Amino acid sequence: MSEIPDNLGYTKDHEWVGPKEGKGVKVGITDYAQDALSDVVFVELPSVGDTFQRGEVMAVAESVKAASDIYAPLAGKILAINEKLEESPELVNESPYGSGWMVIIEPSEDLSSLLDAESYKNTLD
Amino acid sequence: MPLFETCIHDSHVKLGAKMVDFAGWHMPIQYTSIVSEHNSVRERVGIFDVSHMGQIFVSGKESSEFLSYVTTWNISRLSDGDCRYCHILNDEGKIIDDTIVYTFDQENYMLVPNASMISIVYDWLLLKSDSFDVDITNKSNDYFCLAVQGPESLRLLRQFFNLSITPFKLIKSENLIISGTGYTGEKGYEIMGPTSECLSIWKSFIEMGAQPIGLGARDTLRLEKGYLLSGTDFNGNQTPLESGYSWVIDWNHDFIGKDKLEVQKNSRYDTLSGILLEERGVLRPGLPVFFEGKRLSELTSGSLSPILKRGIGLSYVQLPVGSAVKVQIRNKQLKGRVVQTPFL
Repeated sequence: MSEIPDNLGYTKDHEWVGPKEGKGVKVGITDYAQDALSDVVFVELPSVGDTFQRGEVMAVAESVKAASDIYAPLAGKILAINEKLEESPELVNESPYGSGWMVIIEPSEDLSSLLDAESYKNTLD
Repeated sequence: MPLFETCIHDSHVKLGAKMVDFAGWHMPIQYTSIVSEHNSVRERVGIFDVSHMGQIFVSGKESSEFLSYVTTWNISRLSDGDCRYCHILNDEGKIIDDTIVYTFDQENYMLVPNASMISIVYDWLLLKSDSFDVDITNKSNDYFCLAVQGPESLRLLRQFFNLSITPFKLIKSENLIISGTGYTGEKGYEIMGPTSECLSIWKSFIEMGAQPIGLGARDTLRLEKGYLLSGTDFNGNQTPLESGYSWVIDWNHDFIGKDKLEVQKNSRYDTLSGILLEERGVLRPGLPVFFEGKRLSELTSGSLSPILKRGIGLSYVQLPVGSAVKVQIRNKQLKGRVVQTPFL
């Protein structure tokens, strides 16, 4: 059973969005997504300062077998990226909601488009 | 069309394997993770269900002459108990399939073709056997094949069968054929026999500590060693010379396609070469390869080596080892180099 913390927002494409800290929100992929991908061996992240529309491809997570696009869960600008993933992409598997976070986005829209934990869980059933 | 299932299909599902369609078969791609299964085989021992592969038996007085004619190797030079990897070529010298020829005795042999090529190889052998005194029987549906591979594999063989095995030799034990063969580059063997005996052997080896390994790790294991994948690294358009496998050819005998290879031998041609990525990234089949700004070819195979933690791939190019190339991944061209295989 995959873990779905109550305090995060979600997309149907399996990204999570953390609560607002200052200007930005942390973004990563859910426990369900990391399990479906299996061993993440490479993560291609955007550059700080890049801007995305909601739903645009902003990153790619690659397992041995396949590459999966990761979509911007919200429109906005990249404030920071998790540089540790370059050396240690396996953090995405080991701690998808913790040290496996991917980017911090400064959203240019409110968070109302996101699913809550209960609604996200329902998309998995 | 419904997918074929091996005799222990349900056991894969019970073990929680992710199942995929492979060459028309419903096969496990991974049980836990490709990387951990890969490492199990390199460091300890793994067991693979490769029962989708074929078993074609050739018997009769002229079996060795026939098999020497239809393969690149002079099979009549093999001794009883020898296993020999070689290629089956068409009249143009192109690889139909790669196979291992198992020598039971000078009048009884077995070939193990790849799953997707069983009927093609069988029909080809029948077509070419007119003038030979041989019987050719396809028993692929009656036989299982389990590959046990890794540094601890020989201990399990002694433990279970009280037997030892030499590389590229076979022994028969009651209904079973055990051969010092495999496709991982590790010590190991393959066990073949009637399907009814498969499940108990599979379960026993897992109980003794062999990790079940899916086709995902089978692919990364063979790619690290530069071994060819049928249908991927050759697809009916390449000769053994182009695939970099000239060592499968015994030039001192006549075989189908030899005349074409003799012509090619003295010409220039692309050969399947290892490409090692020098930047971070994962290579995939189909990615374009560039040399001095010009698109040369595409990768036939590609992955990430779990041991080297680098992108590795194969491509047909005409470049010396050491040449700097670029491989395009999405919108970036990443640096790579032509290297000698095996990668590991």
